[in-house]
Amino acid sequence: MGTVTKPLTILVVDDTPADVAQLEAVARQLGHAVIVAGDGIEAIEKYRSASPDLIFMDILMPGLDGIEAARQVRALPCDRWVPIVFFAAPDSMAGILRGLEAGGDDYLVKPADLQVIRAKIKAYARALTLQDESRRYARELAAWRDDAEEQSQLGQYIIGRLLDSAGLRDPMVQWLNTPAQSFSGDLVCASRGPGDILYLMLADAAGHGLSAALTALPLTQVFHGMVAKGFPIHTIAEELNGKLKAFLPIDRFVAASLVALDTRNQTIEIWNGGNPDVLFINDQGEVAMRWPSRHPPLGILPPALFSGATEVVSYQHPGEMVLFSDGIIEAENPDGQRLNMHGLEALLAQAPSGERLPAIEAGVARQLAGRREHDDLSAIVVKVPIERRQTVRSSQAASAPDRHVSEWRMELSWGPEELRSMDVVPALLGFMGQIKGLQTHQGQLFLILAELFNNALDHGVLGLDSRTKSLDGGFERYLEEREGHLNELRDGRIDMAFHRHLLDGRTVLDIRIKDSGVGFDWSAFLDSSNDDQGLYQTHGRGIRLVRNLCQELSYGDNGSAVFARYAL
Amino acid sequence: MLITEKIDDHMARLSLDGRFDFHSHRDFRSAYDAVLARPEIHQIAIDFGRVDYLDSSALGMLLLLREKAEAGNKKVKLTNLTGSVKQVLEIANFGKLFTIE
Repeated sequence: MGTVTKPLTILVVDDTPADVAQLEAVARQLGHAVIVAGDGIEAIEKYRSASPDLIFMDILMPGLDGIEAARQVRALPCDRWVPIVFFAAPDSMAGILRGLEAGGDDYLVKPADLQVIRAKIKAYARALTLQDESRRYARELAAWRDDAEEQSQLGQYIIGRLLDSAGLRDPMVQWLNTPAQSFSGDLVCASRGPGDILYLMLADAAGHGLSAALTALPLTQVFHGMVAKGFPIHTIAEELNGKLKAFLPIDRFVAASLVALDTRNQTIEIWNGGNPDVLFINDQGEVAMRWPSRHPPLGILPPALFSGATEVVSYQHPGEMVLFSDGIIEAENPDGQRLNMHGLEALLAQAPSGERLPAIEAGVARQLAGRREHDDLSAIVVKVPIERRQTVRSSQAASAPDRHVSEWRMELSWGPEELRSMDVVPALLGFMGQIKGLQTHQGQLFLILAELFNNALDHGVLGLDSRTKSLDGGFERYLEEREGHLNELRDGRIDMAFHRHLLDGRTVLDIRIKDSGVGFDWSAFLDSSNDDQGLYQTHGRGIRLVRNLCQELSYGDNGSAVFARYAL
Repeated sequence: MLITEKIDDHMARLSLDGRFDFHSHRDFRSAYDAVLARPEIHQIAIDFGRVDYLDSSALGMLLLLREKAEAGNKKVKLTNLTGSVKQVLEIANFGKLFTIE
């Protein structure tokens, strides 16, 4: 063996000076240090004071004998192995056995051969060197483990805080996210945007554990930030993809589904890239609608090739939307059988509305039959109500009118290029959010601006007829026409003017919007006698909501100009 | 996972057999590196006929192969997709990234 062995401290316990001298000579020749004790009592003292690595002990000694000394040595606390080799008389088999039982490791028969003593010392030096190494590895490993444990706890704490949001406590939202390891590569987000629209995101990063959790992490802040400003989900998807593409190595990506649920207008908008089908379960437990993955996951395509194209539907009946990661349907029973989409749909069909998330949880647990999940598991179940609510959920600003507020004006003019490619309302709102006194009104301002701007764009500039929407399948056709017209838009303009000022001791914001179109029949929308008719029930609601939010709302120029006065 | 290589003129066919997952990383990479290094090869076909399982790290490896092949002006196609393998690639819309036969 070529390994370098460490120099030992050897304790020799013997009352025969000749034997001591012989052993001492051999040990020193091999480069080891020797300490000597003449009897058992002295042996224990030396053992305590000099902590030897190896002990040679005579069995027969006056006073405390070798066997009792060995027993007492073994009774002392010790965190390493200190071999004890007995010297025994050739006919004393009983003594040798008692010595080994008392904690001895080996024996030499007296008189010992020099070659044998030398070989024994060398063998123990090798064994003790290995012991040293393995003790060092064990200490390093323990230090690594403590360090990893500490980092993992910190990581879990920070990620937990980053992932938590008020939206996850929304009464309409139920969710679960169970990691396969201590970190989940799945991400569950929910957030209310301006106008009370509920945005959801379920993301599943490739792989699992900390690396997957890190992969998915950049998504949360972008998602919440953009939702708060009211960006549409195609823009959010584009931004998320761009961020991940910039941050992640080639082989990492994140499957994601994004949903915007607008209960006021009864529409659902979805982008699904790489996740299993998103489901809409009606009150009978049937899958009434499904949205399969239409895009590669986020973080793969460069921005120029990425598509944020969404699917939008209007719904007429209540139900629940179900989003989940592939871990749910790939949960395997002990026979290797997966839950599958089929099994999941059966679970959803059997559970009543409101009980479907616990049903998924229980169903997956049954499937796994007590075994650990091999993938992260996550799901979101959202209640989709039908409500004829005309009011806005976001609270009215409670602040007292500020009499020292400065007067300001802003005028903007948008041409075809901007109208085609910009999210005008969120951009405006992002700007106005910086103005003192307007922050608390963001929700209301979003509703007003979105409604008035979209009317100007859809009916004014693009010349779309909202009556299309009330036909069967008309909503989807309307959106198709809108996209077509918008892509071909070569001229057309929308001018907007904002004026904040004091009026009769109150601060008001005047909003004027003028479009280049020929106008539209706004009066039918504002006529409350039409409330019972289906068309105006669905499509006049927006304008009537704006009228409720504003002090004043009036149309001019055949509907191509609108004035709204909002009290701050 | 076992990988068999077959060369026909300008086309290399890598036939995969078994579970294509995280553990296949080294084998898969050395297999495609070998064919990417040959200048006469213009196209690489990955044959999934005998693959029974595919996970997200396998998708990541395919993306790496695609990146390297594009850099060397070589085409990658995925062939013989069936069952759950086909399903996984469909959900990930890899048809938009690779030629699929």
